[in-house]
Amino acid sequence: MAPAPRIECDVLVVGGGMAGATAALAAREAGARVVMARKSPGSTGLSGGAVSVAQDPACMPDAPFAARSGVVESARRIAATRPGHPYGLLRDRLDRLWNAVEFATGQLSSVLAPPTGRNRWLLTPFGHAHPAAACQRTMAAGDLAEVRGTLVVCGFEGHLGWDPGLVASGAVRVEPLGGPRPRAVLLDLFRWEEGAVGTPFDLARLLEAPGAAEEAGKILKRILARGDAAAVLPPVLGIDPAARVPERMSAEAGIPVAEFLSDLPSVPGLRMHRAIEARLAAAGVEVLGGEVRSGAGPDLPAAVGGREVVARSWVLASGRFVGGGIERRGELRESVLGLPVQASEGPFADPSIRFAARAAATLTQADSRAPQALLAAGLRVDGELHPLDAEGRVVHPRVFAAGAVVGGHDPASDGTGMGVAIFTGWLAGRAAAGRGA
Amino acid sequence: MSKVRSYAWLAWRAVVPHPLRALRRRGTGEERFLAAYATEGLAPTGLEARADADASSACISCGLCESACSLRAAIPAIRSLGLHAAFRLCGKSDEMLAHASAELSACAACTGCEPLCPTGVPITRLVRALAARAAVLDAARRELPPRER
Amino acid sequence: MAGPAHQGGYDVVVLGGGVNGAGVARDCAMRGLSVLLLEKRDLACGASGASSGMIHGGIRYMTSDRNVTALASRDAGYIRHIAPHLTFRIPFLLPFASQAEGSRLLDRVTWYATEVYVGTYDLFQPLKGGKPSVRLSADELYRVEPGLRPGLHGAVTLDEWGIDGQRLCLLNALSAADHGADVRTWTEATSLVREQGRVVAVRFRDAVTGEHGEARAGVVVNATGGWSPQFGRSNGFQVPMRPGKGVHLSLDRRHGNYGIICTAVDGRQMFLMPHEMESIIGTTDDDFFGDPDDLDATADEVAYLVDGAASLVPSVREARITRAWWGVRTTLFEYGVEEDDLSRDHRIYDHAGEGSAGLLSFVGGKLASYRAQSEELTDRVAAMLGKATLPCRTHEVPLPGGDEVPSPRELAARHGIAEPVAARIVFRHGSLAREVLRLVDEDPRLKLVLCRDEGILAAEVAWIARHERVRRLQDLRRRCRLALGGCGGLDCARPAAQIVARELDWDADRLRAELSDLLEAGWRERRAVLDGWQLAEEELLRAVHRGLGGL
Repeated sequence: MAPAPRIECDVLVVGGGMAGATAALAAREAGARVVMARKSPGSTGLSGGAVSVAQDPACMPDAPFAARSGVVESARRIAATRPGHPYGLLRDRLDRLWNAVEFATGQLSSVLAPPTGRNRWLLTPFGHAHPAAACQRTMAAGDLAEVRGTLVVCGFEGHLGWDPGLVASGAVRVEPLGGPRPRAVLLDLFRWEEGAVGTPFDLARLLEAPGAAEEAGKILKRILARGDAAAVLPPVLGIDPAARVPERMSAEAGIPVAEFLSDLPSVPGLRMHRAIEARLAAAGVEVLGGEVRSGAGPDLPAAVGGREVVARSWVLASGRFVGGGIERRGELRESVLGLPVQASEGPFADPSIRFAARAAATLTQADSRAPQALLAAGLRVDGELHPLDAEGRVVHPRVFAAGAVVGGHDPASDGTGMGVAIFTGWLAGRAAAGRGA
Repeated sequence: MSKVRSYAWLAWRAVVPHPLRALRRRGTGEERFLAAYATEGLAPTGLEARADADASSACISCGLCESACSLRAAIPAIRSLGLHAAFRLCGKSDEMLAHASAELSACAACTGCEPLCPTGVPITRLVRALAARAAVLDAARRELPPRER
Repeated sequence: MAGPAHQGGYDVVVLGGGVNGAGVARDCAMRGLSVLLLEKRDLACGASGASSGMIHGGIRYMTSDRNVTALASRDAGYIRHIAPHLTFRIPFLLPFASQAEGSRLLDRVTWYATEVYVGTYDLFQPLKGGKPSVRLSADELYRVEPGLRPGLHGAVTLDEWGIDGQRLCLLNALSAADHGADVRTWTEATSLVREQGRVVAVRFRDAVTGEHGEARAGVVVNATGGWSPQFGRSNGFQVPMRPGKGVHLSLDRRHGNYGIICTAVDGRQMFLMPHEMESIIGTTDDDFFGDPDDLDATADEVAYLVDGAASLVPSVREARITRAWWGVRTTLFEYGVEEDDLSRDHRIYDHAGEGSAGLLSFVGGKLASYRAQSEELTDRVAAMLGKATLPCRTHEVPLPGGDEVPSPRELAARHGIAEPVAARIVFRHGSLAREVLRLVDEDPRLKLVLCRDEGILAAEVAWIARHERVRRLQDLRRRCRLALGGCGGLDCARPAAQIVARELDWDADRLRAELSDLLEAGWRERRAVLDGWQLAEEELLRAVHRGLGGL
């Protein structure tokens, strides 16, 4: 068998999460021929349904409605207080942040609801109200800032996975600030063994079955009282958006029905992963499965899943630790091009401090709420998203970095992970395609 | 004083009873070792098994693989424990593995789960390797009297 | 107040819920004494819960007194008898390494001496159900453990028992309670009350409710371990000891089925050994002068242990380290002696000479000898009280669940759960596994497997919350390893907390606070070992618990 022909393209995007997808789609839109190398779903495929871009740092944790400022305005405040954060590095271009968010959410409109410009406040299984600039369509009706009246917070009689009282406590805490009054109820669902031991995926499939969502809607309707304005349920309302589980339930119950956010395992994460795959295929991005190891960079052949790819520009969107873009085996390193890991925050925000080889104990603090340098570690980039080498020089004028592989922020917990992925992905994709921002 | 007595006793053991005991023993050291331990499920861990273990350790328990496991719907034992437990829990120790042969051997090797694994765990290969080891351990265990299982 | 049944006070108030405190409480209660056990945190929160988890037969005493070895081995046999479900066999390899090229005569003599020494220990093995040692040639050694570094000359083997030390502690306390003792966890003894040179009562404070109380006592037993010097200082008596900090590392799975004795960089002996479903590397031993409530594993302790284990088993560097954990062991005071050479013996101090008659302190000792130590201490207590008591029966009466080890296969089939899950429940609960699993017949929702990493069933969490004196969520770390595996509670922490909250009637705010506390404890143990995939796991954990949970 003859070897598959070498692929020549304009842009090679490494990584298929939110940053990589946004970069690939932005480059594609700019007319470039784009190849994506990705090994598997990264942390985007494990996300809970929220697209978190920026929460106003001036806003107290439990006082969301006190700060109704727009998402971009919040990002500006983050940029002003955290100069090492990607928003800080890109502060002169933050006026384009919203273009990026609208672009990404528009591309993924099969699962994402249109953003409004301000944060939606969504409940989580932990009893927390979480701000999100955008969210999945199945979740938008649960926005605490919009529900007027009583919010019915549902669990399932037959499944111990979610405690509606705990979930509702997230709304109780913000009720005095203008949120809805929550009411926790158990729906008489899944009361047989198959349901009781099911994973979220199993429950989602059960609800997709013909008639199941309608039946669930009827059960919900039975417990509704006057003043009930909307209902939120565990995030298992179907895997496939085309199954229209929330809509079917809502039609029976007579009030809007939404999911709250998901922890793991995450049905919304799988939904997002599938939506990204579908959109990339439709946009004509060629996706190659497999890792890029020791690839040499632009204009040089890189081996990806048995194929050879030569690209004019590269976008590294390979993620952080889950994605595998940054790894630590005794020492921190970037895994695709072997670049130095030298951006972080907290005590190691100063770029002159070399920390990649330090012991884990010295890169972390005993209080988990404190900034953890190890969890914020990644590539140092300039304002054009070019990764920098150990001497602070641009590695290559046509190599860009986007998303969690860029250091200086803690995408897992600082509430800006998706926003950074979208913004840097969009900028990097356009730049790689030869179009400036 | 007791120290002196102890050392004298040990010295005597070295010169007389120990060599005598060596004469009475049957089989090589390895044979006696394996007869004592491998029958209890405490078998040697080969390099291959250890490499498999390291590959399993890449699992971050995100649960995404389970969305693609069609066996979950079909087999009650798998349903309650789940696929990623197969290589996280069952692969942790031979003792656990010996109890998991039913779960592990149920895998039909459809490989549907693998493209979903964020950390690239070769799930099918590992489940198959674990199932093979589990079957061996399980068989050894059944031969033991009930109290020792 | 400590309860209407004991308005007149207790015969004995035991301070400290480690294995000695729980053991002496059990023994006293079984002999018919009225007992109050006070523990400022949870049972097994100190050195007992951070021990290597071994019930060994005292091989090191053969050089001083073989009767001690006989006693220790017999006691190991008793523990096997009263808690068979909690123990597991650990074969050790003691590899022969040579400093020089080839093997010198001196090496060969040393190896033969080792072989004879361990072979002599075989005389005691029948007392504890151990197996005889074996000498392996170099070739045989590499077939038995191919992961060893090249250049070794063979090994001798040694048979010992491992145990879940935390549950051993718990079972002693539960048994004490079954025999009428009042067991109060999260209740700190704040001060001693004296009358005419005698300690007559203990004042205490419940850390969960904030309530204060006072209990009159015939005898007070101070078994606060590493906290003794502090407690003594603030209460007018002195407890001489050399506290030492010991750190262990856990791997996410068994690296092999055999323990391996290694030599650390400073020549100390250390080990890599299978323990339950993990392997552990241990241990450090350094004098500790700080606050036992404020410990962490340091970077150099982690490196010391990894390097030491890797010197014989290089493949541990590829393994995933899930956590570093620590405790303060209490060794008898001696000046001018290396930590390792300190006696692991124990001593009972009577503080009558310090104006504190009726107060005993227990110092030193080993997990493996806890039962015999408790018996000795109880004898002293009974003598001080001048009361006629029943004879000691702690060596023959099984601990709760220790009367029988049911078959996991049978239980799994009967209750429709996975066999590995049943096996874990049998390991932890012994014959009580039947009761635990009866819960799933009443409520099939409890068949949910909460943690696929540790095999924790919802029913087990409910059972533990109901019957095992849970007051804080973090108590489940020690009861069933909740959130202790590599996943750090990613799947299970929240649903387990929900079940405990339902059982103990916690509101949502309490539940969130308890969850935070549980997760914080896990972070403290992981942060020094975050590397490889464990670091990726941490990213997910952080995303879920901090990002999504706002905890």
